[in-house]
Amino acid sequence: MKDWCERNLTPPGVSFGKECAGVCAGAVLAALYSLRFFLSYFSARAALYETDSLTREAVLREDAVLPAFSELLGTSLRGFSVLAFLLLFVAAYHYAYHFRGSRSILLMRRLPQRFELHRRCLAVPALGLLLCLAAALLLLGLYFLVYRFATPAGCLPDFS
Amino acid sequence: MLELREVTKKNGGKKALDSVSLSLPRGELVGLFGENGAGKTTLMKCVLGLVRHEGEILLDGKPVTYRNRESLSFGTSEHSFFPGLTAQGHREFFAAHFPRFSDRRFLGLMDFFALPLHKTLRTFSAGQKNQFEVILALSQGADYILLDEPFAGNDLFNREDFYKVLSSILEPQETVLLSTHLIEEVSGFLGRAVLLRGGRIVGDLSVQELEEEGTSLVGAVKERYHYRADRVGKAIGALTGEEDEP
Repeated sequence: MKDWCERNLTPPGVSFGKECAGVCAGAVLAALYSLRFFLSYFSARAALYETDSLTREAVLREDAVLPAFSELLGTSLRGFSVLAFLLLFVAAYHYAYHFRGSRSILLMRRLPQRFELHRRCLAVPALGLLLCLAAALLLLGLYFLVYRFATPAGCLPDFS
Repeated sequence: MLELREVTKKNGGKKALDSVSLSLPRGELVGLFGENGAGKTTLMKCVLGLVRHEGEILLDGKPVTYRNRESLSFGTSEHSFFPGLTAQGHREFFAAHFPRFSDRRFLGLMDFFALPLHKTLRTFSAGQKNQFEVILALSQGADYILLDEPFAGNDLFNREDFYKVLSSILEPQETVLLSTHLIEEVSGFLGRAVLLRGGRIVGDLSVQELEEEGTSLVGAVKERYHYRADRVGKAIGALTGEEDEP
């Protein structure tokens, strides 16, 4: 499978493995950046409590309500949008590759396989976009579960 | 049969090709001659469907599309290989994409030119790149092989040897359309010469008929282009301020 991808999903002479490693590294960085959600969340969660002046223990404030999820999420998933934007440049680089050092575009455009050029130029960016989308949705779900179930009862805003 | 009917290609307002009609039956070695800008490369790109044009181009009676374009191959001095790929990588790529790719011919020609299989194309010399470009065009398994100035940068011995190999390895159904300025060199190997000037065909000559008439191909080409033999003397005279010797 890896060999097939290497031979079919990037312009000839461009390493599929290296490009995928780059995309994955970008996704990891975007995921790390998204962890700032926890900073917002735990900071907001800590604000639900006040210190009892007698016992010095943290007690839940009356009428304490956590800000809306979207507010806490903020720009945590922005890294994935940036990565998706950079993937457009990867696609552009793949097309430009066929004009660098030679005019291999002349060969690609006369192949019997009609969509070969576009498949090779767009496969990695498309796979990268799917990865971005999947990772962003997964983290969004995970963060929502944390928000929903790690918040003290009665402190969630009214969803209605 | 490859047939061009009234093919016209306009670049802006200027006609790069002007109502070109031409038939290339199978099994011919045809030279395509003309000055720079005569339309040789444009004609080939029209045949390959790489540029839009007016008129009709038929390959064995059908328009050229992705379904039948594997019958056309193209070797160009612009080079159409992948610089970052090895010769072996190209061999695998062509075998995977062109069902009639001739591995035997590829390896035979690689051996003939003594080209390395496992080096990337960007490490090849200019001459080696030209040779490799031609090897790919000849090995693809096409019936119509279009070669556009393929030997620019190759030394004379390499070129002459190559013409001999080319004319002896071609199968009866293979047609070569060879665009070059080196008329004298290739005249012994061609069966026919098509002359382009200003985007129009100004001559379609049978080399055999020329030989029977006792005319050389170079002479016939000069005649068709109204070559003025006295222009060198006049130019030198004008540049040096001396009178031209009669």
